[in-house]
Amino acid sequence: MIYTIGHKTTYTYEKPVGFARCVLRLTPATSNNQRLLGSTVTVSPQPTSLVMGRGAFGEATQTIVVDRPHEELVIEARSRVDVEARDVDPAGPSWENIRVAAFDSRQLEANGPASFLYPTRRTPTAAAITDYARSSFSARRPIVEAASELMTRMHADFSYDPEATNVSTPAGEAFAARRGVCQDFAHIMICGMRGLGLPAAYVSGYLRTNPPPGRPRLAGADATHAWVAVWCGDAGWVGFDPTNAVLALNDHIVLAVGRDYSDVAPIDGIILAPGDQTLKVEVDVVPELELVPEVVGRGASWLNARVALP
Amino acid sequence: MGADVHAAPPRQGDLGPAAAARLSSWLRDYRTLPGVPDELFDVTRRPRGDWLDLLAGFADYAEDESKSRFDAATRHIRDTGVSYRIYGEENERSWPLNPLPLILGQREWAQIAAGVEQRANLIEAILQDIYGEAKLVDSGALPAAAITGSIDFIRSMRGVKPPGGRHMPLYAVDLGRGPDGRWWVLDDRTQAPSGAGYALENRLVLSRAFPALYNAMNVQRLAPFFDGMRKGIAASADRSDPRVCLLTPGPFSETYFEQAHLARYLGFLLVQGADLVARDGKVYVRTIAGLKRADVIVRRVDADYLDPLELNGASQLGTPGILEAIRAGGVAMVNMPGSGVMESRALLGFLPKLCRLILGETLKLPNVATWWCGQPAEQERVERDFDHLVVGPAFNTPSFSTGDSNVGRLRPRLIADLPPATRDALRSSLRDRPGDYVGQEVVRLSTMPVLRDNRLEAAPFVLRVYAAWTPDGYRIMPGGFCRTSDQKDARAIFMGDSARTADVWVLDDKPVERTTLLASQDDVKVRRILGHLPSRAADNLFWLGRYIERAEATLRLARSLCTSLMVSDSAIHNSGETLAGLQQLLIDWGALDKEALGGGSLEAARGSLRDQQAYGSVIYLVRAARRTAASMRERLSADFWTLLLNLETELADTDRTPQSEAEALQQIESALQILAALSGLAQENMNRVAGWRFLDMGRRLERGINACRMARTFAHDDATTDDLDLLLDLIDSQISYRARYLVGLAMIPVRDMVVLDCFNTRSLAFQVETLKEHLQALPTLLDDGMIEEPQRLLLPLCTDIETSEAAYLTVEKIRLFEKTLMYLSGAIADRYFLQGATAVPTIKLASMG
Repeated sequence: MIYTIGHKTTYTYEKPVGFARCVLRLTPATSNNQRLLGSTVTVSPQPTSLVMGRGAFGEATQTIVVDRPHEELVIEARSRVDVEARDVDPAGPSWENIRVAAFDSRQLEANGPASFLYPTRRTPTAAAITDYARSSFSARRPIVEAASELMTRMHADFSYDPEATNVSTPAGEAFAARRGVCQDFAHIMICGMRGLGLPAAYVSGYLRTNPPPGRPRLAGADATHAWVAVWCGDAGWVGFDPTNAVLALNDHIVLAVGRDYSDVAPIDGIILAPGDQTLKVEVDVVPELELVPEVVGRGASWLNARVALP
Repeated sequence: MGADVHAAPPRQGDLGPAAAARLSSWLRDYRTLPGVPDELFDVTRRPRGDWLDLLAGFADYAEDESKSRFDAATRHIRDTGVSYRIYGEENERSWPLNPLPLILGQREWAQIAAGVEQRANLIEAILQDIYGEAKLVDSGALPAAAITGSIDFIRSMRGVKPPGGRHMPLYAVDLGRGPDGRWWVLDDRTQAPSGAGYALENRLVLSRAFPALYNAMNVQRLAPFFDGMRKGIAASADRSDPRVCLLTPGPFSETYFEQAHLARYLGFLLVQGADLVARDGKVYVRTIAGLKRADVIVRRVDADYLDPLELNGASQLGTPGILEAIRAGGVAMVNMPGSGVMESRALLGFLPKLCRLILGETLKLPNVATWWCGQPAEQERVERDFDHLVVGPAFNTPSFSTGDSNVGRLRPRLIADLPPATRDALRSSLRDRPGDYVGQEVVRLSTMPVLRDNRLEAAPFVLRVYAAWTPDGYRIMPGGFCRTSDQKDARAIFMGDSARTADVWVLDDKPVERTTLLASQDDVKVRRILGHLPSRAADNLFWLGRYIERAEATLRLARSLCTSLMVSDSAIHNSGETLAGLQQLLIDWGALDKEALGGGSLEAARGSLRDQQAYGSVIYLVRAARRTAASMRERLSADFWTLLLNLETELADTDRTPQSEAEALQQIESALQILAALSGLAQENMNRVAGWRFLDMGRRLERGINACRMARTFAHDDATTDDLDLLLDLIDSQISYRARYLVGLAMIPVRDMVVLDCFNTRSLAFQVETLKEHLQALPTLLDDGMIEEPQRLLLPLCTDIETSEAAYLTVEKIRLFEKTLMYLSGAIADRYFLQGATAVPTIKLASMG
């Protein structure tokens, strides 16, 4: 499935900002399941410097510096991606074997399981969350089956509520309230899995905006999305989306993978700011088949042109 | 040094009767702990010769003399600011120094040094591999998860060639002597080893307290080590004569004074994260002359806090973009971010095997036996022996955990000491996340003799040894930082609670060469100015100047208050209005509480001197000055610091609260004398470089503002002769006035003398002229020939004052002068400091969920 993605972020500042240094992680990843066909990022005002690089977990980054006073910063990313997910075998190795194999891994590279075993600031080891997860991990249960059940249970027990949390809400707090958004659910599921010594990663990315015919619209489709990837041994990394209780397959497009949100924030930056800031994010993810031909390639107006489906 | 420096130490037989009695009672009453060796004795349980020489040397001093020598030397070192203690602060901590050093013979030392050198080379090689090709991981010699659990595994440093060539130029290791008499490694310090400055401090104390003994014992010197260390660090830069910065977390760091001391001793620039800025793949120091390149950064900030953009976003200690500059090769960092990964206990168990694999040798200094539970066989072994082991966190990562079941993640615990419930909780946590834990053998430490209350006692100890990379390979400091425990339990895990330190004397068989840090002639390029003044230091010096001057002015006001109140019959300034003006000024300045006036004259004087809550009281100002000075101790002379401390101590001492006006007056006079001494020191002993200019500008500006303020209060249009008389007192110009004008007090000459007279060093005109000189001597940012804002404000003021006539000088005009000076203060801050009026906070860009 080929997607065209528009992702526009607008920062509006109360008072002019004289200096901004940002790391952008807005180029979709390339993996076994996903091929990047093209990607551009434009920044306004024109940055003083722009350095292309790779982040700690292999993600493509752009580091920009804007050192002229500006009242608005607009970052617009557009990309085309071909997603072709493999089938996931629900049998496979038991979760106990995955734990041993992960601690024994000979891969120090970013895609190996070893980096995703340990707690982080946003995904601490929390006894309450570990115990919540534990009931899905009965002895010798296959990892995919157990993780799927945890995901489904979370979907049933937790409410999607954008008002309940914000970007810095600790996982433990969202867990106790049983509500939050994709970021909270991903962090909670990661806490639970890692609490049992299992390798789980945080994935940032997109969902297709409109569902295929006959399927409901997924939550989180009009912003960037987040879900969990679990290392399943020879089967590699498998995506679990606790927000929607679905596996991350052909409707999910991966931007970046890290240990938690801090590793993969699409835009991470530091500004010298005397006043407040407001943020607006617009995301459109459209399968190419659905695009009305004349809208394609008409510049910025394209971004807000949703295509009505029957 | 005395004439007896080369005398042999007194042998037992040479001691006088009193000394011999002291020595034999020490030895007779000495009790060692069962089952562990003691430094005093050799394997046959006979006292070692070196130790006997040392003890005889100490016994030779009468008890009082050795104590007074030691106390004097300790006090001197503490007062001159080597110590990290901040007087009067809550975080004051005491780590007293033992008078007796730890003695190590040359042969024993050679073994330790060889072991430390081997270990440093081994660790460097492992770091090169982890941050390079990771062959050790590929081959299965080192599990990836034994590395990734550490917060100091900085993934973004993989594939980066360290700009200085090495990951770990500085290294320290904690050693203990085990029951078999061998030295064991307890912990590695591979990130930013601390304590070398304390070792230096301890050496200074002992060598000053007991110079004859120190010289006679043939102790190896520390200076060549530090010299090599400095050369090695400088060599990691890509140009000669590099600018080396020591990056400190700041004055709130527990070891700040050690850092300041080392920076000063080694000639490095002490900086904080906010002093640095990363641009275009390089790092610069913000100075009063603009951005200047930093070539090498010796860091005492943990890696996680170095770069809020890439690592811990909440860090206020780092510099955004600094990791990118390291990757670009634009700055060398000592040690490289990520070197701390080798401090993980998880790795200890792998080192013997890795040493054979990498160096083809066995470890010369064994580790404490350690099993990382991330491996099934090791986990099983730890669970089997659970109750006989120490179990602790595998990684030195701050615990991100919540809940009770994580006991043992915080620090190593001897399982046998834990109650059964805790034991079970730990066991089940270990089963959930085995990789978070290591099991370790219990190590019992040997003891060494310490003198306590004129008795010799056995104390368990840990020895920290330092290595520094130099152009000739790793060099080991002959000595170290020794910590002794007051507890009688010799198990290594309790050393965290250690209570005292000791110097470490490595004895040489040959007479030692005397060296200091004097460089050989061809190494040194003559320079008169040590680089550009960092903006933060300029800021602090400027405010230090202002605080001191304001304190002086407040003291003069308080003095006048006292004299006017106590000598009622001599009618000095005792007219109601003059007194009211005086009190009003003290109230306006925040030195005096309005309520305090009702409490009587003595109360008022006391309050303005000692009220710690009043933001304008002398004690408050002196304390502010001392705090400001504390954050740039490396720039102030020891005498300056001592005087400032003395002043604070005097004013803060509640036992000395004045009981009468006369007593208050006496204290005010004494405080004024100390301030005069401070001014004298600043004038005579500070190099006339930019730092001095900022200190002096602060004083001048404050003095100028005060002169205006006092002139407006006491030389207003309806001023009485009492008022004028008081004004001359306040600006210390009585004598000059009387000499110049025989007619007595009159408004116009007094105004002239206070405001316009450029020959009077207390007048506004004099301050303004001096400020002009300073500003003209400071560097400019641009070479476009335009004048900068501070001068734009000051030059018209100078002209205005120069051309004014006292007869036409109005109070309004004086108010205008005062206002201009206030603006000037803001303009100086904007131009030279980090925190000017236009400074804005650095904040994180908002992000979305």
